[in-house]
Amino acid sequence: MKKRKLSVIGIFAGLLSAGMILTGCGDSSSDNGKIRIEMVQYKPEAVKAFEKMEEKFNASHDDIELTIESPNEAMTILKTRFIKEDQPDIIGIGGDVNYSNFLDADMLTDISDFEGLADIKQAYLDIDKNLEFISRNGVYAVPYAANAAGILYNKDMFEENGWEIPTTWEEFLTLLDTIQASGQQPLYFGFKDTWTCLAPWNAMACDLAPADVCQQVNRGETTFSEEYRELAEKILQLLPYAQDDPYAYSYNDACTAFARGESAMYCIGSYAVPQIKSVNPEMNIDSFVFPANDSADGQILNSGIDLQFCIMEDCKEKEAAYEVLRFMLEDENIQIYLDEQNAVPCKEGEFQLPSMLDGMKEYIDAGKMTDYQDHYYPTEMAVDAMIQTYLMKGDTDAWLKKFDRDWTRYNRDLIRKIQDYQKENGEGGNK
Amino acid sequence: MKKNTKQMGKTNWPVTILLIMGCVTIFFPLYMAVIIAFKKPSEMTNDIAGALSFPSSWSFDNFTEAMRVTDFWNSLGNSLLITALTVVIAILLHSLAGYAIGRNMGKSKFYKFAYLYIVSGMFVPFAILMMPLVKQTSQMGIGNRAGVIILYVVFYMPMNLLLYSGYLKNIPLALEEAAKVDGASTWKTYWSIIFPVMKPMHATVAVLTALGTWNDVMTPLVIMSGTGKNTLPLAQLNFQTQFGTNYNLAFASYLLALIPILLFYLVCQKQILNGVVNGAVK
Amino acid sequence: MMKKNERKRTFLLITIPILVLFFTFNTLPLIKGFIYSFTNFKGYGSYDWVGFRNYIDLFQDARVGHSYLFTFKFALVATIVVNLFSLILALGLNSRIRAKSALRGIYFIPNVLGGLVVGYIFSFIFTYILPTIGKSLGIDFLSSSMLADTKTAWFAIVIVAAWQAIAMNTIIYISGLQTVPEDVYEAGSIDGATGWTKFKNLTFPLIIPFFTINMVLCMKNFLMAFDQIMALTKGGPAQSTESISFLIYKNGMDGGQFGFQSANAVIFFVVIVAISIFQLTFMNKKEEQL
Repeated sequence: MKKRKLSVIGIFAGLLSAGMILTGCGDSSSDNGKIRIEMVQYKPEAVKAFEKMEEKFNASHDDIELTIESPNEAMTILKTRFIKEDQPDIIGIGGDVNYSNFLDADMLTDISDFEGLADIKQAYLDIDKNLEFISRNGVYAVPYAANAAGILYNKDMFEENGWEIPTTWEEFLTLLDTIQASGQQPLYFGFKDTWTCLAPWNAMACDLAPADVCQQVNRGETTFSEEYRELAEKILQLLPYAQDDPYAYSYNDACTAFARGESAMYCIGSYAVPQIKSVNPEMNIDSFVFPANDSADGQILNSGIDLQFCIMEDCKEKEAAYEVLRFMLEDENIQIYLDEQNAVPCKEGEFQLPSMLDGMKEYIDAGKMTDYQDHYYPTEMAVDAMIQTYLMKGDTDAWLKKFDRDWTRYNRDLIRKIQDYQKENGEGGNK
Repeated sequence: MKKNTKQMGKTNWPVTILLIMGCVTIFFPLYMAVIIAFKKPSEMTNDIAGALSFPSSWSFDNFTEAMRVTDFWNSLGNSLLITALTVVIAILLHSLAGYAIGRNMGKSKFYKFAYLYIVSGMFVPFAILMMPLVKQTSQMGIGNRAGVIILYVVFYMPMNLLLYSGYLKNIPLALEEAAKVDGASTWKTYWSIIFPVMKPMHATVAVLTALGTWNDVMTPLVIMSGTGKNTLPLAQLNFQTQFGTNYNLAFASYLLALIPILLFYLVCQKQILNGVVNGAVK
Repeated sequence: MMKKNERKRTFLLITIPILVLFFTFNTLPLIKGFIYSFTNFKGYGSYDWVGFRNYIDLFQDARVGHSYLFTFKFALVATIVVNLFSLILALGLNSRIRAKSALRGIYFIPNVLGGLVVGYIFSFIFTYILPTIGKSLGIDFLSSSMLADTKTAWFAIVIVAAWQAIAMNTIIYISGLQTVPEDVYEAGSIDGATGWTKFKNLTFPLIIPFFTINMVLCMKNFLMAFDQIMALTKGGPAQSTESISFLIYKNGMDGGQFGFQSANAVIFFVVIVAISIFQLTFMNKKEEQL
């Protein structure tokens, strides 16, 4: 009897102790008296740039030890680390709805006394301000690098055929007709990956819808049916100029097709350039701003914050964290990042921009830009999939109505919060 | 093996030929995978002829690069460790559970309940468990490889219980009764008689459990994040970023990751076939 | 008497720790998830209690409703296809054939290939190869990508899911076939039973427990389909292939709907458990009859 019991217990004990062995060795905290700053940034593709900066920082600082992690699936990892209450000191995330959510959950700290903010382009600070669900006092992020979207075009094809860069919607349609008439493919879409449907949508929205349309709707001042109608009608007009059945082809297919000269233009952002160049390293790519209106004053560039730094509420060494940010914002370190990532800097100053952004440079310099609309959409609403559905069906009225209906459902807690806030404060939630 | 050949008699040629022809459905996709694993990104095209043509050179650069990017040997070590321990624990623990519960669920309400309780755990979507589990494991101090193994043992318990108790239905009670008459305890009877008889099932369970743990990304991703340890599937996430995927390196890496588990299966399947029961019952 | 008690105690000593382990890492977190289903928790940060709102919403949400229809249609067809093919394959691989080990190894490969590989290759086949074949042979439904058509995309997923899953179910059937004693066959041969009759009257009744297992496992894998969908369509085209697990995962984890999707998961769990308990009891009765 005893023996049997013992052996049952033995098995379980054995399993447990096997577990213990594996558990061993936690992280050895630094005993060298340095302040440790841990940063997690969400772009694993930029890991090389960050390794360089980490090394450089630690070589030049005796009192602070910086570790930068660039994990895959960083947003999932960040969320799980929040649950474990094991927050890093600094996070590098995009200026999108995740930022809005983290801010709304009171997880980020006010950094308005950080002097480096003075050098950041106002347009990007405004974008971050707009991302606040409910207007807050203070500043919660340092915009670092941006990307820009519009039309990428095959420079060689344009030169050979003598095509001109269009500056209005009218001219754009004419160009599309000309290219098609020459027997070549004007546009290529990879709509199988629904998120690519957002590329033309966002780029055209800059010209056709107010930048803060989502906030306006949340405050009950307007509807999407009203503000998105022209946008929805115009995006449908692009379809005849793309390949047949664009829903069969993925983002990767579209990048490959564009790289192989199968289409003259590709409506996507600067972020796609590395993938395109991997297929055709020699390719001559340039870009122009999506001309979605006929306004004489030109258009507005679609540009959003691709990477920004936030300090977590739990960070104990704010001054050391500021030192890290100061270092990151030194011109030569920004240039390291830009060179690796084909990015647009958020800081004022003279930087070497990647050549495929030549066509957008004047807009970037002048700060004539608007954020991506989808940065304001809740992920779970799946607006990208809704746009894909719309492009397939083309039922503008019904779809816009559905958009309004879904929006109120997915955002109702937020809308209620904003309206409570309005009642208390007598005016707009987010201005 | 010798016994088999004796039993086999003459070969069933029509079936053999049909099965060989069926292999096309596997070889064709596999051929594509191998071709892509050898190509350079600049050789990728969107047309059939281009996709099926041989790479310009058969160099193993992609494989060495993939091994470098994934820190192959370390990641492989972690994957092997986790999978092997999970499989061993699963076989020991789940077969016991299958025995205790399977032998009694016909006559006892308690065991019937235990059976349905555990089996129904199979249908809990992992997404709902994930957040609470992340918190729980970190509070218990097992937010690491050990935690991942424990979770796998629990996740695969329903399936393996189902398998073991199903298999036991075909193993007659008479087999253990004989031992009991000799005065052996139930515990001893189990290990000396029942456990060996279930060998084909152990092999099946080993294959299925290993397969699930080998390819799993989510559990190690959320449980082990921050420990600096990677499994192969975690390291393979390196090939996919938000705006681009290096399919060539990824394919090379996936083909490398396929080899250990395929070998493991080939070893196990010999065990599945031994037909121990046949001999034992007679 | 003493023997009986000893046996009982051993069984209890085995079962109770296992139940405790299972409770700790499966039921406990499930209960926590259940509690979250009454909140608007995003997965992090602060949250409010919302009572039964998530459950009420669930029954009014067209997207959720559609995901149930899709998932059940997909699971039903895939379960039938997979069981049929894997049973045939298992019988074939278990018969007197040449190159047995090699063939068994080959048919196992699909199960090991990662989602990225399967997704890429089959997307290529559906997007480029099949339409070319379809056009040249004049087969209408093949002449454009099956994955891009809301009417056919689900079936394309069935094909790929089955291609991958058949290996696993075949292994289970093969191990089941090992428990069929040779003398059954010998007895059968004397009676002159061959082919189909032999299978129907002799082999199949003996492997019914494995048929049950395969049905339940197939149901589990296909009702909870996620990887296959991520690899091939990511829910498209036009949101026609969003499975329940896809919604729970995408919107609960990536999106901010953790509370709502927990409610979805709870309902989903109750539904499948009801189905599978019915299935298990029904099959057990069948087994006992035989």
